Amino acid sequence: MRDVTVRYASGVVALKNVSLDIRPGEMVSVVGLSGSGKSSLIRTINGLVPITSGSLRVGGYHLESARGGELRRLRGEIGMIFQGFNLAKRTSVLNNVLVGRLAHTTTLRTLLLGAYRASDREIAFEALNRVGILSKVWDRASSLSGGQQQRVAIARALCQEPRLVLADEPVASLDPPTAHEVMDDLRRINQDLGITVITNLHLIDLARSYGTRIIGLRAGEVVFDGPVESASDAVFAKIYGRSVESADVLGL
Amino acid sequence: MTVLTIPSRRRAWGRSTAMIIVGAVVIGAFWSVDVNWARLADLPAQVMHYLWLMFSDPNWSKVPEALGQTWKSVAMAWVGTVIGILLSFPLGFLAARGFSPAPVRWSMRVGFAIIRAVPEIIIAIAILSVTGLTPLTGALALAIGSVGTLGKWGYEAIEGVDPGPIEATRASGGNIAQILRWGVWPSATPDFISFWLYRFEINVRSSAVLGLIGVGGIGDMLTSYTQFREWSTVGVLIIVVVIVTMGIDAISGAIRRRIVEGT
Repeated sequence: MRDVTVRYASGVVALKNVSLDIRPGEMVSVVGLSGSGKSSLIRTINGLVPITSGSLRVGGYHLESARGGELRRLRGEIGMIFQGFNLAKRTSVLNNVLVGRLAHTTTLRTLLLGAYRASDREIAFEALNRVGILSKVWDRASSLSGGQQQRVAIARALCQEPRLVLADEPVASLDPPTAHEVMDDLRRINQDLGITVITNLHLIDLARSYGTRIIGLRAGEVVFDGPVESASDAVFAKIYGRSVESADVLGL
Repeated sequence: MTVLTIPSRRRAWGRSTAMIIVGAVVIGAFWSVDVNWARLADLPAQVMHYLWLMFSDPNWSKVPEALGQTWKSVAMAWVGTVIGILLSFPLGFLAARGFSPAPVRWSMRVGFAIIRAVPEIIIAIAILSVTGLTPLTGALALAIGSVGTLGKWGYEAIEGVDPGPIEATRASGGNIAQILRWGVWPSATPDFISFWLYRFEINVRSSAVLGLIGVGGIGDMLTSYTQFREWSTVGVLIIVVVIVTMGIDAISGAIRRRIVEGT
């Protein structure tokens, strides 16, 4: 990513001349206060937020020029996990996980209920098994707890057989023990499957204990980029623009 | 004793003007409607007279025929609703923000608004010259009328769904059709089914009215017997219409409640 700037139609500049290189297999935590541009940064990578200027290369794709089908193919190779889980609550866990196959299947098959290929279902079952909730496969998504829903969302991302997974505040809606379990799941898919994981976090201890590299954003600019070990409290104070408080850690 | 300083009251000129205008419209309306107020005094007696004629000795032998004609009306309403659903469903998506370009969206919305402004009976009269005095005319009129309301309710429901699953399907590389199928449809299903049933209830009532122009069904039968002044039969027909309509409303309403509550 070179000199990427994102300016929204409202005139708000979310990212200012951001340049970053993220290598395959890394587990990166992006930290910063709300409004610092974390969400915009992560969404430029799969083209949900278009970049205003600069250049961004992901895999073999050029984000500044990718459109339509090319963009959809790119998104098909990138899994995404959200703070609010973003599951279709009124349908089954399996249908939610199969959303991960959309870009890998013909449109006609995806529109009809139950027309997915057996191999796609097999991938979905394996993804659910990996996050330990295969037993819930036929349940309605709304009947699951928050932690279980986020695991379904992770399974949905895995179902894409991605090379990269983006996670936007994946544990901000979860209680502390569940937050650790979900972060463990993310670390496992990074270590066991070699999938690159980029996670937005605002809690310092989570960023330190999960992941190998920390990128600090403040007002749309990268103010820190380095290995976890070098991210001291002073570094976080610089990222946050104030001293570190007890509310900045999850504890436990 | 302290002297209270009372803030001077602001005059709400806008409100006063609005009230005067509304008052003038009400008075003007009464003035311009040519009502023979003297006859109003006779009204209660007249109503009692006709009620007596209709319900003192209902002609129960007409019940089977009345039920048959009601069945025709309900069938007309059902066919009209189904065609209306088939037409309004894709059009509703085209009218929703975020799923189609602005010119398409706005022309859809204007179209729905125009249809809603025209009563079904006028639509029926308009298409009568093509389709003739058949139940099909009634069904088509109800279908077109349904598109106006179902289209509007549809795009409002689509725009109101939780944006989360939409973002998730887009992020997984879904195209527009896939986003609609897996990002929108699961959350919007109860709304849509509920709208469809509600529109069916409306169409059952409208179908009786459509009989007035002679497209068949219970309304047709009712008009004929009113013209023949066979009040004992008219009474039976009214009883049948009321019971059937209330029955359908009750059943459909119960289903709708279950759908909306059963998340």
